[in-house]
Amino acid sequence: MTVIEIHNLKKSYNPGKLAVNDVSLTIQKGESLGLVGESGCGKSTLARCLLGVEKMDDGSIVYNDAPIAHANRKQLRNYRRNVQTVFQNPTASLNPKLKIKDSLIDPYLQFKDDLQLKHFHFTSKQDFVQQLLETVELPKELADRYPHELSGGQKQRVTIARAISIEPNLIVLDEPTASLDVLSQGAILELLGSLQQTLGMSYLFISHDLAAVYQLCQRIAVMRDGELLDMFRKEDIYHTSRHDYTKELIDIF
Amino acid sequence: MSVLAHSQKRIKKAKVWLISIILLIVLAAIAYTFLYLKHDATMTDVGNRLASPTWGHPLGTDHLGRDVLTRLLLGFRLTVGYSLIALAAAVIIGVPFGLMAGLRGGWVDRLFMRIADGFLAFPDTVIAIVLSGLLGPGIGNLLFAIVLVKWVNYARMVRSTVLTEVQKDYVTIARINGLSTFTIMRKHLLPHIIGNVLVLASLDFGKIILLISSLSYIGLGAQPPTPEWGAMLNESRPYFQANPEMMVYPGLAIVAVVLAANVLGDYLRDKFDVKKEVQP
Amino acid sequence: MILAIEDLTVSHGEKKIVDKVSLTIDKGEWFALVGQSGSGKTMLSQAIGQLLGTNLRASGRIMYQGDNVLEYPKEKMNQLRGKAISYIFQDYHGSFTPFLTIQQHMEEYLQTHGVHQKTQRKEMMKEAMESVGLEASFAKRYSFQLSGGQLQRASIALALLLEPDILIADEATTALDSVSAHRILSLLQDLQQKKGCAILFITHDWRHVVRYSDKIAVMKDGKIIETGTKQKLVHQPEHAYTKQLIQAAPTLPMRIREVSKS
Repeated sequence: MTVIEIHNLKKSYNPGKLAVNDVSLTIQKGESLGLVGESGCGKSTLARCLLGVEKMDDGSIVYNDAPIAHANRKQLRNYRRNVQTVFQNPTASLNPKLKIKDSLIDPYLQFKDDLQLKHFHFTSKQDFVQQLLETVELPKELADRYPHELSGGQKQRVTIARAISIEPNLIVLDEPTASLDVLSQGAILELLGSLQQTLGMSYLFISHDLAAVYQLCQRIAVMRDGELLDMFRKEDIYHTSRHDYTKELIDIF
Repeated sequence: MSVLAHSQKRIKKAKVWLISIILLIVLAAIAYTFLYLKHDATMTDVGNRLASPTWGHPLGTDHLGRDVLTRLLLGFRLTVGYSLIALAAAVIIGVPFGLMAGLRGGWVDRLFMRIADGFLAFPDTVIAIVLSGLLGPGIGNLLFAIVLVKWVNYARMVRSTVLTEVQKDYVTIARINGLSTFTIMRKHLLPHIIGNVLVLASLDFGKIILLISSLSYIGLGAQPPTPEWGAMLNESRPYFQANPEMMVYPGLAIVAVVLAANVLGDYLRDKFDVKKEVQP
Repeated sequence: MILAIEDLTVSHGEKKIVDKVSLTIDKGEWFALVGQSGSGKTMLSQAIGQLLGTNLRASGRIMYQGDNVLEYPKEKMNQLRGKAISYIFQDYHGSFTPFLTIQQHMEEYLQTHGVHQKTQRKEMMKEAMESVGLEASFAKRYSFQLSGGQLQRASIALALLLEPDILIADEATTALDSVSAHRILSLLQDLQQKKGCAILFITHDWRHVVRYSDKIAVMKDGKIIETGTKQKLVHQPEHAYTKQLIQAAPTLPMRIREVSKS
C-alpha cells in the first residue's frame, strides 16, 4: 500500500536553476526510503516541499489518493497529522523556554480531537509523556527539565518521541544524526529501526551518509544537482546497473 | 564551587533581600496612606512652617507648614502609580505593534520601523520636554508624552525577538503541524517575550520615575500643591541652604525606589534566563 | 620520529582535561587520534602549537627536533607555527578573515615567514592553489564566496604553503558532508605522499580512520586508552570502548555479495 506519492516535483529558488528537478518517488507503508546526496543536491528542499514549508513550483504530492494541493481543511489536517518530521539540529527543534513535557505534548494537543492511538494508551498527560520518554529510552525525570539540560543525543530522542507521539504514517527524517557525536549517531539509528518495528510507520530518511541510510532503509534513492539519478533496493547496492555516481558514493564508505 | 560563583550567589541572595525590604516599605507606606493619615497633605499651617521633627511631625514641616512625612508617603502612591500607568500603557501599545510587525513583515514592518527610528533619533527626555511643553504643563500631558516615547522600545524588542525565534526549527515544526499563528504566538513566542518585557519594564520603571520627577522639578509635570516628589524638590529649592532636609527626603525616596526597580530588573533577568543555572 | 609527546597534562584549575598522555608521531605518517567530543583530543592538539587559552596550563614535554616546544618563547613558537607545524580546523569560515581574499591571506603568511621576493611568492601561491585542485582565479575571492569544500581546500593550501613537517587536522571534515569530506581526505592523502609531511588527524569518525591512517590512538576522558597500528586496532581492538566506536559507525557490507550475486 502506498503512503505517499510524489509526481514530477519541481522547485527553484533562483531563476534558471532548479533545486529539485522533476523528481518522482513513492513510499510504501511501513518501509524506509533513503534519500542520499551531497549538501546542496536538493534533498532537503524536497523534504520541505513535502512538509509544506516550501511551495513547489510544479508537480504534485498525493496522499490517500488525493493531491494535497487541492485538499480541503479536513484532508490537510489529516495529512499534517500523518506526516511528522525530525530535523538535523535538535537544539533548534525544541523551544528553549518550554519544559520537555510541554514540547512533547504539543502535537497531541493540536490533533487530539481526531486522534485514535493504537499503541499508546494512557490515563493522563503525565502518563503519556512518561510513556513517550520510555519509548525512546530516556529517564522519566527528564519530563520536567529544559532542553539545555540535555545532551544532543537526548534532545534528538525527545524530538523523535514528539514525532511518533501521534502515531503518524510517515516521518521525514532530515539528517537526524548529522549533528550528533559518533556513539549517539549509532544509538539513534538503532532506536529509529526498533521504533519502526513496533509502530510500523514509514520513513523518508534523508542523509549524506550512504552507510547510515543502508543500515536503516530498504530502498535507497540517490540525488545530485536536483535530479534523481538512481533508485534501488538495498540488496542491489552492488549491482552492475548502478549509476556511476552511486558507485562513487559506495566507494567512499 | 569557585570563589567567584560563591560571591555571585551571595550577591543574588542579598538582592532578593533588598527587593523584599524595599517592597515591604512601599507597601507599608501605601497602606499607611490609605488607613491612617494624621495630616491632610495639602493643609497649610503657616504658623508652624519649617519646623524641626517632633512627635506630631516626625520629619518636620515644609515652607507652608505641611507635614513632610505625609506628603512623602502620598508621593509614593503618586509617583509609583503614575509610573505604573505609563508603563502599562507603553507595554499594551508596544507589544501588539511589535508582534504584528514581526509576524506580518512587509509594509507594516517597514512603516513601523521608520516611526521607531524617528523616535529613537531623539533622547527620551528631549521628546518628553518638547511634547509636554507643547501640550502645556500637567501630569496628564506628561504621562501622554512618556507613553509616546516608551512604547517604541517594547515594540522593537518584541519585534526582534519574534524575528529571531520564527526562523528556528521548532516554530517550523509547529507550522508543519498546522498550529495557528495565534497558538504559535501564545505557546511558543510568549514565553520568550514575557521575560524580556518584564525585565525591560522593571528597568524602565526606574527611568520613568526619574523622568516624571525631573519634569515635575522643572515645572512641566505635576503642579503644586500635588505631593509628587519632583514637585516637592522644586518647591524646596529656595530653602535648600537653610533647610536642606526638605530636598534630602524626596531625593532619598526617589533614589530608593529607582534602586529597587533596577535590582528587581536584574533579578527578573536572572530568573527568566533558564540557562543561567547550569553555567559554571 | 618527528614529534614526541611525553606525559602531557593539560589542566583547567584542578581539573585535568588531558591526563599524562604520551605518543610519538613518525616522519610522514598519518596518525589518527580518535575520541568523542570532550575527550580532550582538541586540547592535546592545541597544546602542541601553544594555542591553549590562558586559563589552561600544559605540563610535560613535547619534543620537536630535540627541543621541548612547550618551553619555547612566543617569538620562536610563532616562527615554528606555519613553517614546521600547521593547522587546519573544523570551522573553515573562522580560519579566514572575511575582508581579506584568499590571496591576501597567503601573501601575509609568506611575508611573515620571510619569503620576500614577489615573483617567488606568486609562484608558490599558484602552485599551492593548483595542488588542492582550485582554479587560480579563486585566489582573488573572499572566503564567503566559496563553498565549504572549496574553503577547506583553500585552508589546506594555506597550511601546506611552507611545507611543514607536521599538519594537525582538527576535525577538519566534520562540518562537511561525507562526500566532500572524502574528497578532502583523499586530497590530503595525495599531498602527504607528495610532500612527506606527517599528519595528526583528529576525528570522531571511525570510518575515516580506517581508510586513511597508519597509526591510531583512542582517547577517552583525557587518557589514551589504546594505541597501535591500524591493522591491530581495526582487527583486534582490545578495549571495550574501541569496539564500541567501531560498532557505532555504520558501514556498508563487504563486496563479496556482489560477486555471489553475479
